Amino acid sequence: MAGLQPYVDHRVLLILQDGRAIVGTMAGYDQKSNVVLSDSKERVYSIEEGVEEIPLGLYLVKGDQIVLIGELDEATDKAVDLSTIRAEPLPPIRY
Amino acid sequence: MDASSNGIQEPFDLIRLSLSERVFVKLRGDRELTGVLHAYDGHMNLILSDVEETIMIVDHVEGAPEGHATVNIAKRKMEMLFVRGDGVILVSPPSRT
Amino acid sequence: MLIFSVFKTLTDQRVTVELKNDLSITGTLKSVDQFLNIRLDNIKVLDEARHPHMMAVKNCFIRGSVVRYVQLPAEHVDTQLLEDATRREAAAQNKR
Repeated sequence: MAGLQPYVDHRVLLILQDGRAIVGTMAGYDQKSNVVLSDSKERVYSIEEGVEEIPLGLYLVKGDQIVLIGELDEATDKAVDLSTIRAEPLPPIRY
Repeated sequence: MDASSNGIQEPFDLIRLSLSERVFVKLRGDRELTGVLHAYDGHMNLILSDVEETIMIVDHVEGAPEGHATVNIAKRKMEMLFVRGDGVILVSPPSRT
Repeated sequence: MLIFSVFKTLTDQRVTVELKNDLSITGTLKSVDQFLNIRLDNIKVLDEARHPHMMAVKNCFIRGSVVRYVQLPAEHVDTQLLEDATRREAAAQNKR
């Protein structure tokens, strides 16, 4: 396994197969790369308005739904005013 | 020519004999590649060099009759490319004329 | 196994991973596993204006199954070695 250990207790961004983007603190994972996030929020992107954050709290994401796990640089992330960001939502994965 | 006389007994032999030759690859998502084949495995993962990719982008015009979609073609080149096997539909050896 | 080995030899090289959601990410290859899951460092998303989603992300883990292509640094790929290894692996498969 390329390893998720370095991400534990760090703020991460998950991109899912359906195009959703979820941020949270990685509380744990298992060998099937199922991931538990604490204090998580979905970031909903749209062209019409800024990014909306929907609180999800403690959240379990199934490993096979995960496209990508990124470590967030917290200083950079906090410096971004999400209400000014306008973008299309990421497209879903198409096989 | 008898297929068994040139060492082709099963489908993958055809790909093996195309190593270091330019091949045509059809992929899911209306994509095609040509490139020089350097490696493959049983999943049809490929490594190609001097690659040209062609993407067919079909625009379905709202309300237009069937078969009136416009097709845009985008091309790009890549020096060395790994292609994941799950997207591969076919690999065709170079035409020997 | 062959492709896995190729990726291992490319550790610490810059690669561009194109995903099946059309996102392209360039980064330094830090590790790869048997599923071809990939870890990249110092990442940069292509066309960041259109895809600002990963602005604050410095490194990432990509699931192998969502990869469409990986663009490799040609100068670090020995094509003759690859072809020989591929023929060897094909011969070993045929014996089984």
